[in-house]
Amino acid sequence: MAEDRFQAIVNEIYERFKGYGVTKKEIENRLKLLLFEFKVPEEEARKTIINGLRKSYNIAKVDLKSPIVKISEIEPKQWVSLKCKVIQLWEPNSPTIAQTGLIGDETGTARFVVWSKANKNKLEEGKSYLFEKVVVDEFMGIKSIKVTSASDIKEISEEIEVKEGGEEVEVIGALVAIQQNSGLLQTCKSCGRVVKAGVCVEHGKVEVNEVLRLRGVLDDGEKTYDLTLKEECVRSLTGIGIKEARKLAEEHLDRSVVLLELKKKLLGRYLRVNGELRFRTLNANKVEFYKPEIIKEVEKTLEEAGA
Amino acid sequence: MIRTAKREVARRVFSKEFNLSKFKVGGEGEKEAIYVLTPLGLRCNRLFIVGVLLEKEEVKPDSDMWRIRVSDPTGSFLGFVSKFQSEALESLADLNPPEIVAITAKAKLLERGERAIPLIRPEYINASDFETRDYWIVETARATLKRIKAIEKGEDKIVLEKYNPDLEDFRNAVINAINKLKEEQKVLKSEEAEKKEEKEEKEVRKDLGFEIDEEIVDLSDFDIGD
Repeated sequence: MAEDRFQAIVNEIYERFKGYGVTKKEIENRLKLLLFEFKVPEEEARKTIINGLRKSYNIAKVDLKSPIVKISEIEPKQWVSLKCKVIQLWEPNSPTIAQTGLIGDETGTARFVVWSKANKNKLEEGKSYLFEKVVVDEFMGIKSIKVTSASDIKEISEEIEVKEGGEEVEVIGALVAIQQNSGLLQTCKSCGRVVKAGVCVEHGKVEVNEVLRLRGVLDDGEKTYDLTLKEECVRSLTGIGIKEARKLAEEHLDRSVVLLELKKKLLGRYLRVNGELRFRTLNANKVEFYKPEIIKEVEKTLEEAGA
Repeated sequence: MIRTAKREVARRVFSKEFNLSKFKVGGEGEKEAIYVLTPLGLRCNRLFIVGVLLEKEEVKPDSDMWRIRVSDPTGSFLGFVSKFQSEALESLADLNPPEIVAITAKAKLLERGERAIPLIRPEYINASDFETRDYWIVETARATLKRIKAIEKGEDKIVLEKYNPDLEDFRNAVINAINKLKEEQKVLKSEEAEKKEEKEEKEVRKDLGFEIDEEIVDLSDFDIGD
């Protein structure tokens, strides 16, 4: 093995443990023993030494200083630290999740999850933070970072420039599903979660905002998109804005009638959506029913068929 | 939103192709979905269909299990809706055949000994219209032609081995479906043109009538004044 490779491993381990009084000599000796006498593979030797040092100096796994990295560099299962800006907060779909959303730096964007058990202060959209000792996870090719009780989050004043992950796209597809958390909803003023009967799972009895929106799945037969339509888009398609929705709900003494009405008007319809795409999430800016001139489409298709 | 599984795409397929499916693929390990493998090599777990609801019939009285048949230009899909598809069941109650419907459904292959019966389990059913159905036919025709081309290139060995499909037969089915649509469009166009003519004629008559009415009013006013 090359001398510089050997030194590189020693240095890497030393960097992580120097704060605990570990000497370079100690690491070198252990590494020599494993690599040259016992012929252990390099990666195994490295892991063994790290684990050994952790045990003998009694250091918890997560307390090891996680290197500050960029989003483009993160790999699953790593413990890292990141300087990121919170781009967007999403509504958590489980009480075990305190916050979830999208963070970004100049190299890319990633999803993040803050577990409720982590007991962290709330993050705010548009602010930048130093996330320390967070663990990287991968799901369906999308990397996400998890903030646990071992992690630290500090707000930083540094302005972080975010690489634009969102792409302006136009998608034509069928609305094949509408999620239950659509329609005329009440959301918690402090966390934005959907509130049922005035009670938020996190904050108990709360003041609420009333919103009209639609979450559904747009599907073009090749790909699916998680579509969000804000009030303006819902109204331009269906003629039901928040005023009309409130009136409907009052007439029927039931909010769910709004969702029922939206389903009748929209489920199974072809839509042309212009919006911002991040991973599979499509936030619509403009939407209309897609009504191409069938006769032209027919001619095109006959040509394709070679008829 | 964090999801536990990737959502399956709703594929577009004509009933002729779907109903000739005999094999399932996938389902290995707990997490992998099961797909119906069609003779043109489509692996589908979910379908989107716009067609005519021809029949709905309760399998047994009070069982709340309904058998439905939904047609497209090439044949019809057989489907079952039970209380486990509560949304579809609810909407089905308000629908009366024949009616154009849009359906999002799970694709299933029921195996009965030697036989395999392809069927659909709708998740959503909603009343639709002719325009949507027409575009669905176009879209499905294109998806089918794409699959035919892929097989011609020999890209899918499994399908050739399992089905060895008669590509001309499938291509003709697509062309027939599209030609039928073309005829309908022509009829529609001429009907529209006729209606427009009629409407214009009526408007002319109305204009005349209106003027006469006004004169009558004027005359009566004159009479009272006298």
